Amino acid sequence: MYILYFDPGLGAMIAQAAIAAVAAVAIFSKTVMFKIKSIFGLNKSNEEDSYDSIDLDENEAENDKNKTSV
Amino acid sequence: MTKTRLQSSQHQASFRDPSGYVTQDKGKIVRVINPIYFPQYNQLTTSGFYKKLFKAGLLIPHLEIENTEERITISPEFIQFITHPYEWSFEMYRHAALVTLKVHKAALTKGFILKDASAYNVTFHQGKAVFIDSLSFDFYKENSPWRAFKQFITHFLGPLLLAKYHGVSMLKMMQNHIDGIPLKTIASLLPFKTKFNSTIYTNIHLLAKLESKYSEDYKADSNLSKLSKKAQINIIDNLYDFIKSLKINEATEWGDYYNKTNYDVEAFKQKEELLKDWASELKAKTIIDVGGNDGTFGRILKDQANFILVSDIDANAVDFNYKKIQKNKEKTILPFVSDILQPAPAIGFNNTERSSLIERLIDLKPNLTLALALIHHITLSGNVPFLKSAEFFASFSEILILEFPTRDDSWVQSLLVRKREFINHFDFYNEAAFENEYSRYFEIIRKEQIFKSQRVLYLLKRKQN
Repeated sequence: MYILYFDPGLGAMIAQAAIAAVAAVAIFSKTVMFKIKSIFGLNKSNEEDSYDSIDLDENEAENDKNKTSV
Repeated sequence: MTKTRLQSSQHQASFRDPSGYVTQDKGKIVRVINPIYFPQYNQLTTSGFYKKLFKAGLLIPHLEIENTEERITISPEFIQFITHPYEWSFEMYRHAALVTLKVHKAALTKGFILKDASAYNVTFHQGKAVFIDSLSFDFYKENSPWRAFKQFITHFLGPLLLAKYHGVSMLKMMQNHIDGIPLKTIASLLPFKTKFNSTIYTNIHLLAKLESKYSEDYKADSNLSKLSKKAQINIIDNLYDFIKSLKINEATEWGDYYNKTNYDVEAFKQKEELLKDWASELKAKTIIDVGGNDGTFGRILKDQANFILVSDIDANAVDFNYKKIQKNKEKTILPFVSDILQPAPAIGFNNTERSSLIERLIDLKPNLTLALALIHHITLSGNVPFLKSAEFFASFSEILILEFPTRDDSWVQSLLVRKREFINHFDFYNEAAFENEYSRYFEIIRKEQIFKSQRVLYLLKRKQN
């Protein structure tokens, strides 16, 4: 059950299916490009940004790794 | 006034969400949760989701202080100063957007959703963007689209894109649109070429089109559309990647300010030392540096202060400051964009939903205000008489350290020259007139000429009444 205390917009709800499909293509092609680049060693090293990944667990795991390696 | 649902102590911005409200109890912020939200709250707590977000620094930590059948009360960690989205620099805004997406993704993986994605749910605390609305979560319903998606676009992606293509001042549009910039406005303002970017086309242009197509539909039947969780994750992953790599192409005007100005090394040092001495004598803990550029002088007082607010009109300087804070992991400095000639007004319902800058500064009660090499801009660029600026500073600051560039200073000279035939109207710009008018509100405690410069440093104390 949702409490609709603001209008989410019907158009926006419908649009998400199309947006998701395009996003899937974008993400897929990015992954492919990343793999191709990494074969040739073209990936740039990570810039200084505290917001590397959207995923929490991944970040935590990385931090733990850094801690153990120090 | 008759009895209203809003009790007087209830925070003025806290009425939109029926799940609960924020109130002040003896100066402490507490969040009261209504029974309607108990199932969500209990699940969020027992599943360890809240804890996980606290640990990751994404959500403001809270403690439960009351748990009865009628209400649950939680007390979130104290935030010294709330900045609003229209006071953020581009980088700050970008990070606020990323935090929102991160929180939503974390929620999705644990069977929750972020039910609203308002930019006001994020603020800056201890150097980082943090989500502050602990009740913004709801249960995820299988195959339902993200209901806060449009809100995310109008509050975050839209303003960020407008800033990218039309300059960072576009972020100030949020001041006019408390519910986010309308999709139509965003779409019409973006350049034609953005239609060829798949992310911008779908998330903005297509969305705007569909929104206007269905705007006449009043049935609000959201069951019409279905979206798998995987698809929803694709949307937010893609938005995250896109926003992560967003940059603006604006040359930094002030970023390198201290290398460009006419400041002699010795004079700079002396100013620094005077500032340190005076501030440590005052034992100032809460400081605001008005017109503080990239925070160079605020940072000098870092060791003695608990909290330093640094405002500047130039969003690039604020950006520069924010990046420094990220790099050095500084927790006590908070930068924000503010034009002293036009500070953020109170906005929203009843003009009380989001408080004005002055109201927030009065609440903050800074022990010390710095206004270094600012008075000539206020007086000569803004045409604000001394008495008026004195009144402004006196409204929130007890102690003021003000640097006064005299008429012979090269900056003052160039500002005066620009007045052309009206140059004589500004004959009043001198130390004597300044001291005379400021003494209506302040007592002059110290006065030091900074050598090898045309500048004078004043230590002023507010008079009673």
